[in-house]
Amino acid sequence: MELLEITGLKKSFGELEVLKGIDLSVNEKEVVSILGPSGSGKSTFLRCISMLEHPDEGKMVYCGKEAAHSEGGKMIYAPKNELKEIKSSFGLVFQSFNLFPHYSVLKNLTDAPIHVQKRSKNEVKKEAMALLEKMGLSDKAEQYPYQLSGGQQQRVAIARALAMKPKMLFFDEPTSALDPELTAEILKVLRGLADEHMTMVIVTHEIGFAKSVSDKVVFMDGGVIVEQGAPADVIDNPKNERTRAFLKKMEEK
Amino acid sequence: MKKKRIIPLLCAAAVGLSLVAGAFTSCSEKNESERTKLIVGFDAEFPPYGYKDESGEYVGFDLSLAEEVCKRNGWELVKQPIDWDSKDMELKTGAIDCIWNGFTVTGREKLYTWTTPYVDNSQVTVVLADSGITQMSDLAGKVVAVQADSAALAAFDSEDATDENKALAQSFKELQQVPNYNIAFLNLESGAVSAICMDIGVAKYEIEARGSKFMMLDEPVSTEQYAVGFLKGNYELRDKVQETLIEMLDDGTFANIAKDWELSDSVCLNKDDRLLDGGTEKKESFADKLGRICKQLAKGVGASLLIFVLTLIFSLPLGLLIAFGRMSRFKPLSWLMKLYISIVRGTPLMLQLLVVFFGPHFIFGISTSSEYRFYAVVIGFTLNYAAYFAEIYRSGIQAVPQGQHEAAEILGYTRQQKFIRIVFPQMIKNIIPSITNEVITLVKDTSLAFAISYTEMFTLAKQVAAAEATIIPLFVAGVFYYVFNFIVAAVMSAIEKKLEYFK
Repeated sequence: MELLEITGLKKSFGELEVLKGIDLSVNEKEVVSILGPSGSGKSTFLRCISMLEHPDEGKMVYCGKEAAHSEGGKMIYAPKNELKEIKSSFGLVFQSFNLFPHYSVLKNLTDAPIHVQKRSKNEVKKEAMALLEKMGLSDKAEQYPYQLSGGQQQRVAIARALAMKPKMLFFDEPTSALDPELTAEILKVLRGLADEHMTMVIVTHEIGFAKSVSDKVVFMDGGVIVEQGAPADVIDNPKNERTRAFLKKMEEK
Repeated sequence: MKKKRIIPLLCAAAVGLSLVAGAFTSCSEKNESERTKLIVGFDAEFPPYGYKDESGEYVGFDLSLAEEVCKRNGWELVKQPIDWDSKDMELKTGAIDCIWNGFTVTGREKLYTWTTPYVDNSQVTVVLADSGITQMSDLAGKVVAVQADSAALAAFDSEDATDENKALAQSFKELQQVPNYNIAFLNLESGAVSAICMDIGVAKYEIEARGSKFMMLDEPVSTEQYAVGFLKGNYELRDKVQETLIEMLDDGTFANIAKDWELSDSVCLNKDDRLLDGGTEKKESFADKLGRICKQLAKGVGASLLIFVLTLIFSLPLGLLIAFGRMSRFKPLSWLMKLYISIVRGTPLMLQLLVVFFGPHFIFGISTSSEYRFYAVVIGFTLNYAAYFAEIYRSGIQAVPQGQHEAAEILGYTRQQKFIRIVFPQMIKNIIPSITNEVITLVKDTSLAFAISYTEMFTLAKQVAAAEATIIPLFVAGVFYYVFNFIVAAVMSAIEKKLEYFK
C-alpha cells in the first residue's frame, strides 16, 4: 500500500524555482533516502511534504487521502478537519531538534499526545517512558533539553515524533548538526526503526548509511530527481553523470 | 547573612543623602557689598504679579518693582521662575535671593525676613457663574481647589486659620490642592472642582481674561498682605530692598508702577510699618520631626502603591492584546496599533494624563467629577504602560525561534495551544529583564500623578516640605522610592531565577 504519493510538485521562492516537478511514492514499511548536493531542493521537498511550506503546483496524497492538488496554477487543499487528520499521519524530525526548552524530556514527549490527541495521561506517560527506555534515555526523563548532549536531544526529538504514533516519519538531515560519534548514535536508532519496519523518508548526507538501510534511494539535483531506485543501482552503479560526480565528491571527504 | 547587609547599606545611603543636603544648605553666604545681581524667585503663573506675557517675556507688577529696585542699586535682575512648592529649598540653597511674587505675609510672619507689606490682598472664592453658588456656606459637600502651599490653603488649614474658616473647610467634601491656577481653572470648568479660593488680584485678572463664565463671591475668605520675603536672617539685603522701595514710594515711582498694573486700589506700602524679622522658631527634636513627617507621608504611600498595583494589573494584559493587534495579519488593525504605540511613546506621560483627565470635558463636553481624578490617573498610566509592554511582548514573541513554531505545527497544536503552551512561557523568560526596567520606571513615574493634582507620595512630600520649610520629606520620599524599587528588583530577580530551570 502506498502511504505517500507525490506527483508534479513544484515550488518557487520568488524568481528561484527550487522544485521543478517532483514525483515520489513511498510504500508502507519502505525506507526512502534522499541524497543530493546542497541547494538541490531536497530539504524544501521534505518541508513541502511535511506541509511547513506550501507548494505552488502538484498533487499530494497521504495514506490514500488527497491533501492537495493544483488546478489552474492554484493549490486546492482538503477541508480543515481532513487536513488535520492527514497531518497526524506523519511526524518530522528536524536537523536542529527543536525540542521545547521549557518542558522536561518526558513532557516534550507527552504534551502533544495529551493535549492534541486527547489521550489518557497515564497511558501516554507509560508509552513515553517505554520510548525513552528504547532510546536509552530513561534516566533523563526529568531533565531539561539544555542538560542533554546533541545526540541525546535528537533521540528525544525522535521519541517525541514516535509518541504521536505516526504512520510514517520524515527526517530532515537528522545528523547534520552532530559530531561524527554522536552521528553514529542517531544512525543506530534509525537502523533500529528500519528493522521494525517504520516507514521513513530521510534526507541525509550519510551515503554509507543510506546504502545499508534504504529500500530506495533518490538522488536530487537542481530541483529534479535525477535518478532513483534500489541502493545497489543508484549508489553502486549510478547511470547519471551528476550522480557519479556527487558520489565521488562525497567519497573524497 | 545576605539580608543583614541591607540595613547598613540603607543607613549609609541615608547618611550620604543628608551630607549632600547639608552641603547645599550651608553655601548661601555672600558678601552683600559685592552683590552684582538680584535673583528674584517667582511663580510664573501668577498674574498680574509675575507671569509670561504674549511675547514670552516674564512680566508683572512685582517684576517691574524688582526691576526698578535693581536699577537703583546697580544690580542685574535675574528673573527665576520657581516651582511654588520648592520655594523654601530655592531660598535656602541660595538659588534665589528673595521671593517676590504676591507673597502673602499672613501666617508666614515667622518663617521669613520680610519687607513691609506693599499690597493689601484678600483671599476670595471663584465659582462658575451658572453654578448657583452665591455664598461660602453653599460649598458644603463640594470640592474646593486651592494652590498648593498658597495663602488660601493657609487660610483654611494652618494653625493661624480662623475657627470660622476651619469649620468651612470641614464642611467641604475635599480641599483639593492644585499646582497652579491654570490647572485650577481647567478643573473648575470641567466640573472636577466647584470653587477655587485665591488672591483677589489674581481672581480679578483671571475672570477678566477668561470671560463671564466665572464669578467671584462677595464674601472674602480672609484679608491679607503681600511683602517681599528673604531667607530668615538676611537683614542686610532686606534692608537695602526696603530702603529702595521707600525711596520709590517717596518719589512717586511706586505709585506709577502700581497704576501701570491697575493695582492702585490694592497697594499699601507705608514707611511707618513695622518690619517683620522672622522671630524665633519653636524647637522640635529631629526624631520627632522625622516621625511626624513620616506619618504625614504615610497617606501618600498608599496612593502611590494603589496607582502602581492597578496600573500593572490592567496594563500587563492590555499590552498583550495590543501586541497581538500589532502583529495581526489584518493590516488596518496592525497599523492602528502601531500608530497608538508611536503616539504613546512619542508624547510625555504627563501630557497624556492631562488629556485623559480633561479630555472628556473639553473634547466631549462631559462634566467630570472629582472621583474621576483617580480613575484618570489609573487609565492614563495603564494606556501608557500597555504600549511599552506591547513592544516588549512583541520582541519577546519574535525572539522565540521559528523552529519552535514549526515543531508545534508538526505536532498538531492549534494556534491558541501553540501560543499558550509553547510561545508564551519562552516569551516570559525573554522579556523579564525589560519588564523589570519598566516596572522600576513605573514606581518612579507614579509621582507624575501630580500633573492632574492627584495627591500621591511625592506630591504630598513636596507639599509637606513647603509647609514645613524643610527638605526632610523629600529625602523620606527618596528613601521610600528606593526601598520600593529595591523590593521590586528583588521580586523580579527571584522570578528570573525561578525561570532559570530552562535555557
